[in-house]
Amino acid sequence: MPLPKAENFHPTTWWILGLLLALTASMSTDPMLMVSICLINVTLLLVFRGESNWAQSLNFYLALAAIVIVTRVVFRVIFNFSDPSAPAVLQLPAIELNLGFGMKSSLLGRVSAQAFFSALTDGFRLAAIILSVASANTLANPRKLLKATPGALYEVATAVVIAINLAPQLIASLLRVRQARQLRGRSKGLSSLASIVTPALEDTIDSSLALAASMDTRGFGRKGQVSSTTIAISRTATALALLAAVLGIFFLLSGSGNWLAALAFLITIGATSISLRATSKQGLRSRFRVIKFQGKDLAVISFGIATLALSMALGA
Amino acid sequence: MIRVKNLNFGYGSSEELVLRHVNLHINSGDIALICGPTGSGKSSLLKCFNGLVPHFTGGTMSGEVLVNGKAIQGRQPRQLAETIGYVNQQPEGSFVGDTVEDELVYGMEQLGFTRSKMQGQLDWVCRRFDLGPLLERNLNQLSGGQQQKVAIAAALAAGQRVLLLDEPTSALSPDAAQEVLAILRDLAKNDGITVAIVEHRIERVLDLVDTVITVHGDGSVTQGSKQTQFTDYRYAPPLVELSQKLNWPAIATSLEAALPHWDSSKVTITERLPEVSEKTPDVALRVENLTAGYGNGDVIKNANFALNHSSVTALMGPNGSGKTTLLSALLGTLKLKFGTISTIDGNPVHMKPERRLRLITAVPQQASDLLFLNTVSKELAESDKFGGLANGTTARILESLTGRIDPQRHPRDLSAGQQLSLTLAIQLANGAKILLLDEPTRGLDYQAKHRLAKQIIRLRNEGHCLLVSSHDVEFVAQIADRVLEINQGQIKATSSTETALGPNSPHPTQLASLSQSNNLLSVGQVWPA
Amino acid sequence: MTLKKSPWFRLLITSLSGLASLMMFAWPLFISVGSEPRYSQTVFLILMPVLLVLLLVEYSAGGIDSRQIALLGVLTALNAVIRMLGAGTAGIETSFFLIIISAYVFGSSFGFLLGATSLLVSALLTGGIGPWLPFQMMAAALLGLLAGSLPKVKSTWLQTANLIIFAFVGSFIYGGLMTLWNWPFLAGQGSTVSYLPGGSIADNLSRFIQYEIFTGGLVWDLGRAITTSVLILLTAPALLATLNRAANRAGFVKPLV
Repeated sequence: MPLPKAENFHPTTWWILGLLLALTASMSTDPMLMVSICLINVTLLLVFRGESNWAQSLNFYLALAAIVIVTRVVFRVIFNFSDPSAPAVLQLPAIELNLGFGMKSSLLGRVSAQAFFSALTDGFRLAAIILSVASANTLANPRKLLKATPGALYEVATAVVIAINLAPQLIASLLRVRQARQLRGRSKGLSSLASIVTPALEDTIDSSLALAASMDTRGFGRKGQVSSTTIAISRTATALALLAAVLGIFFLLSGSGNWLAALAFLITIGATSISLRATSKQGLRSRFRVIKFQGKDLAVISFGIATLALSMALGA
Repeated sequence: MIRVKNLNFGYGSSEELVLRHVNLHINSGDIALICGPTGSGKSSLLKCFNGLVPHFTGGTMSGEVLVNGKAIQGRQPRQLAETIGYVNQQPEGSFVGDTVEDELVYGMEQLGFTRSKMQGQLDWVCRRFDLGPLLERNLNQLSGGQQQKVAIAAALAAGQRVLLLDEPTSALSPDAAQEVLAILRDLAKNDGITVAIVEHRIERVLDLVDTVITVHGDGSVTQGSKQTQFTDYRYAPPLVELSQKLNWPAIATSLEAALPHWDSSKVTITERLPEVSEKTPDVALRVENLTAGYGNGDVIKNANFALNHSSVTALMGPNGSGKTTLLSALLGTLKLKFGTISTIDGNPVHMKPERRLRLITAVPQQASDLLFLNTVSKELAESDKFGGLANGTTARILESLTGRIDPQRHPRDLSAGQQLSLTLAIQLANGAKILLLDEPTRGLDYQAKHRLAKQIIRLRNEGHCLLVSSHDVEFVAQIADRVLEINQGQIKATSSTETALGPNSPHPTQLASLSQSNNLLSVGQVWPA
Repeated sequence: MTLKKSPWFRLLITSLSGLASLMMFAWPLFISVGSEPRYSQTVFLILMPVLLVLLLVEYSAGGIDSRQIALLGVLTALNAVIRMLGAGTAGIETSFFLIIISAYVFGSSFGFLLGATSLLVSALLTGGIGPWLPFQMMAAALLGLLAGSLPKVKSTWLQTANLIIFAFVGSFIYGGLMTLWNWPFLAGQGSTVSYLPGGSIADNLSRFIQYEIFTGGLVWDLGRAITTSVLILLTAPALLATLNRAANRAGFVKPLV
């Protein structure tokens, strides 16, 4: 039986899996695990990606991951603390630099094996995180994702859809205006920017008015009744979510308790979803196509959870 | 269905009312045509019917508009959404969704329809507009005609009983326009939907409409039958103009209706174009073996032709045949792959832009692309300064073309005709004798086209060499000495305008079809005997 | 009843999110010894989008009408396209001048939304989505928010001068924040130019500046600040006129509450 393509899954499935894999990578200190997560992501991309253009970016992300690993190691080699007690893998001449304002820097010098391998591990962890986001982004069709946004984000999602659909027309119109400017014999340089952007902007504003008229005459912005309780709930939840976030960040950074921080972030996530639900109620809107989670979506997500659980169990 | 009582609408003081004391009535299931010169306020009148005026345009409105017996004053367009459907001038600019289905259900989603009700309505519009096979398609992969059908379907999908259309056919090819109009007829006659259409290509819809509302441009609005409304209407298509000129007892709205009148009319026929007094028959521009295009594709293939001074050549061909590309190649904005262009002063392609501009110039399809300052006077001054000309040179050219335009106005607020004249003046200021115009009649009403034709003929008589790309046969008949036909990048042999637009050609003018004569193309040639 | 926006509530949640965002950008400067940096890194990658969503909802849901949405959409598209076309010419950052000018004309809420959507759409169009995107969106959104709350002055020249100064400082800070964000990722820990948990803020700041100098980030940020200012100098008078004309075209866009 052939595997279904990425498009047939719920668009948020891939993002949930991506986040779980990124979490797994960042919790661990085992370089082999990070390499395997990189490989899992590449496999996912190769197996599930479709034909569409958003799915062609594998090379870009692979290159980026490689650059991150190399940068991390190179940084450690160039800007390196020499620790005389540790065994060295590299012995380079040291350079002392004075940057002024009392800042001194020493470059290169002796590189210990431990420093080298910890840089490599960090590099692979980052690469794993980047590839996890990459596979989510590549496998989840952004347009479908926009349609699955909660009602509270409907307005922003609408603006984004408009922008994506309009971009090709705008490119054409900018090029047209630029060519027209040449017809008037004026230069094409940077100083001409105002005279290229102005007509394009005028067109843009005119078309935005036409678009707004078309949306409004079809009922966009009609509101249902919202009770004052709903409003109070949404506001309290928003404030609570943000307060918990600030506290959580503080706990995390001060080292005064990772479990307290975890609790605070759970409150943030919970309160955010309550707030979004409450805000979503104010629209009158209904939806024709509702994308539902199915068995295969749950299977993919379970795979992510299992990976995370397994790595935590192994780590403990 | 729609009743308007003593409606006034304007942006500023009461003297400048756009619409004044308007009273009209459109019956259920009727199709009403709203016509008038460009900028007269016909779109504004249409927008009064669904609250877009004044909520989306600003300005103040008084009087009463009743739709289906209910007053709509003070109500936002969205509050009228289930009663009235509205379709913008450019459907592709008013789409909100990705696919046809998204677009069709959009309104129903906004109004909170249940899914089963949406499915029912969707099935209805798919049948009615034959959109079933297109449901999954992406909106920007559709042809212009399909887009227009989707836009109309989307405006009616929530069960609206009134349909307002702003220039539904002006961007469509004749065939696509026919298809859309047939659907409108069906909607009105079989479904009892009331339709109001703003259209300046009157000849396309004339056959269809039950009542005509004329917005005169001075604020006054009249309503009546085709016969009463068109007896002295100045912005009329050729057959109507002919009916007026020859004092026929009834205004002809179709060729069939015109034939008996024509056969019984006694007329004198004059030359189509005036003689050029000082003939300078020398070649202004010669093109040899020209091949040009983008990337690896050749859009223009091996073109050969020559253009004379004191002549107007029309460049005609279907959309995408390479008209604009050819003009770009002549102007040097597109690199030639092969061939030569020569003038008395040398090859313009190898010239510096400043020098080329004194030899050959152009006005693009969208004339306003060239305008980037915020008053007319600044544009004129910039033009003088750029060309190193005496102050007021460009202004004088503009005045000779079109009369005075208030120098303090914003170029974007000018009518399409005025924008065209302003751009033309700026482009001519540097003294070029070769002038290229790309689709200059877009958005112009019949009067503005007549004025433009006069400007073009004047330039021709002064010795200019003009190449005008257009697919407006009636306009070409008024200006062109000859026609250059282009199809899929191939220039077919040049022919006289009489052959290209005559009764035996694929696209005859209305007068050529009526008279079946090779020497009569345009109403301007006909006079009562 | 419909959802009315309360300015006090908005101020509260904007400052809370501002504080939280700042900490998520600048944490390497003051993280303590006992903390696990790799937890922070990952948690913030998830927390930043959450904050962004909450603020976007606050600034958009129910309080913005079709004209503003449509304008937001088309300006976002224009911005993304200009950014795409500009990216080809020697690293010139062309995305900010229009965000700043539009935010100045249409107000801080609009500016916030435009900053966020512009970066999102240009990433969607160019395929540059990564963990950095929510951070870029938040930084650009806050830039728009601030540009929208600049004092309104009468003369066009004063407005332009105002905007140029803001653009220079604002886009420089934006660059600084984004470098601060990638600092722990690229330099890691344990080198002479990486952050030192438990170190003083001054010490960490000096390490950060060295990182900026050695990576060329400083030059890049300066470049962005200069191009944005120059673009504003070149275009502000014309664009302000055009946008104000749009805003004044009776009843078009009332400033968001």
